[in-house]
Amino acid sequence: MEDLKIGVYVCNCGTNIAKVVDCDATIESASRLPGVAIARPYKYMCSNPGQEMIVADIREHGLNRVVVAACSPRMHEPTFRKALQQAGVNPYFLEMANIREQCSWVHEDGAVATEKAKALVKAAVLRVARHEPLERRSVDMCPDLLVIGGGIAGMTAALDLADAGSKIYLVERADHLGGNLARVDLTAPYLDSARDMLTDRMTRVVEHPNISLLLNSEVERLEGFVGNFQATIATKARNGNAADQVATVDVGSVVVCTGYKEFDASRITHYGYGKLPNVITSFEFEKMLREGGVETKEGKAPQYVAIIHCVGSRNLEFHAYCSRVCCMTALKYAHEVKSAVPGAYVSDIYIDMHAFGKGHEDFYRRSSEVKTLFLMYAKDDYPVIRRADAKDDCEMLIEVNESLSGETIEIPADMVILMVGMEARDDWADVAHLVNISGDKDGWFIESHPKLDPVATTTDGIYIAGACQAPKDIPDSVAQARAAAARILGRIAKGKLEIDAVFAEVDEDKCSGCRMCNELCPYTAIEFDAEKKRSHIISALCKACGACVAACPSGAIAARHFTDAQIFAQIEGVLA
Amino acid sequence: MADKKLQIAIYWGAACGGCDVSILDTNEFILDVDALCDVRLWPLAADGKYKDVEAMADGELDVTIMHGAVRNSENEHMAKLLRQKSKIFVAYGSCAYMGGIPGLANLVPREEIFARAYLDNPSIEPGNRTVPLSETTVNGHDLEIPKFYDRVYKLDQVVDVDYYVPGCPPQPDQCKAAILALVGALTGTAEAPPKGAVVGAFDRALCDDCQRTKTEKKIKRFYRPWQIMQDPDTCLMEQGILCAGSATRSGCGVRCPNSGIPCRGCYGPAPNVLDQGAKLLSAVSSIIDSKDPQEIDQILEGLPDFTSFANRYGVPASLLQRSHRQ
Repeated sequence: MEDLKIGVYVCNCGTNIAKVVDCDATIESASRLPGVAIARPYKYMCSNPGQEMIVADIREHGLNRVVVAACSPRMHEPTFRKALQQAGVNPYFLEMANIREQCSWVHEDGAVATEKAKALVKAAVLRVARHEPLERRSVDMCPDLLVIGGGIAGMTAALDLADAGSKIYLVERADHLGGNLARVDLTAPYLDSARDMLTDRMTRVVEHPNISLLLNSEVERLEGFVGNFQATIATKARNGNAADQVATVDVGSVVVCTGYKEFDASRITHYGYGKLPNVITSFEFEKMLREGGVETKEGKAPQYVAIIHCVGSRNLEFHAYCSRVCCMTALKYAHEVKSAVPGAYVSDIYIDMHAFGKGHEDFYRRSSEVKTLFLMYAKDDYPVIRRADAKDDCEMLIEVNESLSGETIEIPADMVILMVGMEARDDWADVAHLVNISGDKDGWFIESHPKLDPVATTTDGIYIAGACQAPKDIPDSVAQARAAAARILGRIAKGKLEIDAVFAEVDEDKCSGCRMCNELCPYTAIEFDAEKKRSHIISALCKACGACVAACPSGAIAARHFTDAQIFAQIEGVLA
Repeated sequence: MADKKLQIAIYWGAACGGCDVSILDTNEFILDVDALCDVRLWPLAADGKYKDVEAMADGELDVTIMHGAVRNSENEHMAKLLRQKSKIFVAYGSCAYMGGIPGLANLVPREEIFARAYLDNPSIEPGNRTVPLSETTVNGHDLEIPKFYDRVYKLDQVVDVDYYVPGCPPQPDQCKAAILALVGALTGTAEAPPKGAVVGAFDRALCDDCQRTKTEKKIKRFYRPWQIMQDPDTCLMEQGILCAGSATRSGCGVRCPNSGIPCRGCYGPAPNVLDQGAKLLSAVSSIIDSKDPQEIDQILEGLPDFTSFANRYGVPASLLQRSHRQ
């Protein structure tokens, strides 16, 4: 191997680092470390002049390793890798020492922080000396897709991708498309018909030459990795005696759009749902609207309609989160009740009115103007519903501790609509397991980054859209579906997938086939070859988390760029 | 030497003597050894005194096979002396190779060992406060016994070792193979193994040779071998019986697992493993099938004294080498 020529660059980060860490002393200490050819400070290493300094030094001094002591590698490792690459040095011959987050930001004592910075730089220098050149690789990207769920999100994603020329397998468990939206009458805030919105899309999906619509179907198994999945889909036979049809298709990406289910109102006993005949859920009311008549169980037009918000939502006992669509849907009901039963009184019993969407605040104002009685109740101080006496001219009486007035108010009701919130489907964990993604504590699928990467997941090639990710309304579901489609199209356009050079590998000579690692991989990158009795890692799936490396009892698994020699060198540097 | 026989010595440090027996367990092969070699020192089976060894020229011995760990000053002195007199120095058995069972003493300080052995032991006569000292005077005579060190060392922490033969004790077939390899190397009939090689064992982990069926592992409860009716065909670890095979070098012939006893790791770390105990710790913790801290604690209760299990034969050979509790 050629002689080591390490360049060490200590970033001041303006004053972020320099105000606590003595950068000159750190440079001085680094310059005496073995293999260090040059050690320099700079005000902002990540700036263009900072990067150019590295490039120029590599060219002028023939540096073959670089240590940048600056911020977290999460922040700027890609930046400096690019600089090395630009100068013709393998980008993996870089190591960063985090003297900002791990030093200047967390210590006040400058002398101690400086000693720590020196130790971190020494660790990086000893480590970088043991770095090996690594090459990124590329694999083919299959342009075809699997979309799971035929609701508004699934249909939207499928249509966008099919229009772009991809072959889509749209798998829907039910015998029809539309999902929960197919159960809705009008939509807030513009009172457009859900049916009209859906019919157009459903027709296009059915007729699209690039979409294979598989109703009554479920994905049984998904194998492979990004760009190269194999999905096994079972379609229920129409005739009960016939066997299910099972097909395996090749796809490059998967969009999960499995939606939500409504909260079961009978779990809240206070409201008498299931006992009082005219206490109904919002979905039951939608059904009534779609069928064209608002009436009580007794067949009468209700004179008093009460709407109760946050049923199962914003409540620690059930779901702490806000279901996001119920407030506007409730206002929509106020309009729909008034148009179905002119002269009816509507009471809207809410905790907070969440009207954050486009046009929602206007809708709220318009609803106030149609003489809806708004009553505010405090979280966990449930309104109490009881049957009215014969002398009253209504079916039920609702007692509300009204927060704004501070008074207990009793209001009449012939019909009570419970605004049931959204919750994850019962089988969310099975779906998550099937496609190897995770759900949060409420069962909503977890996106790759809550702000910056809302449609990708931690498994490359698996995307999520619609309410399966979190409660959301139609515009948000559609936006997310189209975003997923755009993300996928971007990758299809490239034709090839770049795979990071850092991944774990099994040394087949040392693997004993003990299978300790098989269940550990969060990305299902490990497969077992029963014939050879050896475990194998699909490098395209591996994210280099290291779980299997640590677990492998025979030391047969090693992660590139995180070898024992590199880690021990780093530890030695910190301890020295 | 006129008859050109190989000059050998077999000696022991902190050991139980089982390694000597394993050499004798090669049965009639020992006669071949005798035909090939002059045994210049073997306290268990032949003769030889310190002064005989001291009188030898440096390198006069072709091979010294030393078993046992270094626990006291006599062990160290003899290891160094024999090293000086030998062309090839072999660490034989788990104690010489890794510290072995005596190495478990590194989990406690010397004072605690002495207190337990000489002061707080139920079999000690009440009131007896006698603790051995390395130097003492009796009736005007100065007496000396070897100095008991603060910790146990594996052989190569004290002297330069050429080859290692693992096992507690090494299996007779492997002992034979190792001796033949050395004889071959010394007589020029076979290529010498590279210095530092582990001889008399394989270059793979024990699981590779174990015939029990292995599937994916998820452990909800650990069992001691006597707590469960075991399935003779399924991986012991999968049945919750802690087995060190996955982190251990093969070469023993899978004797323990084949007899329904989990591997204890006496053949030392598998070839790529730096710290056998640490690897077992990390492997076992990876397959515990729970994410609930309380349940995990409960599952771990099935693992009494995990350190002594995972490092049974190799505390001095582990990264930490000894307990560092203050």
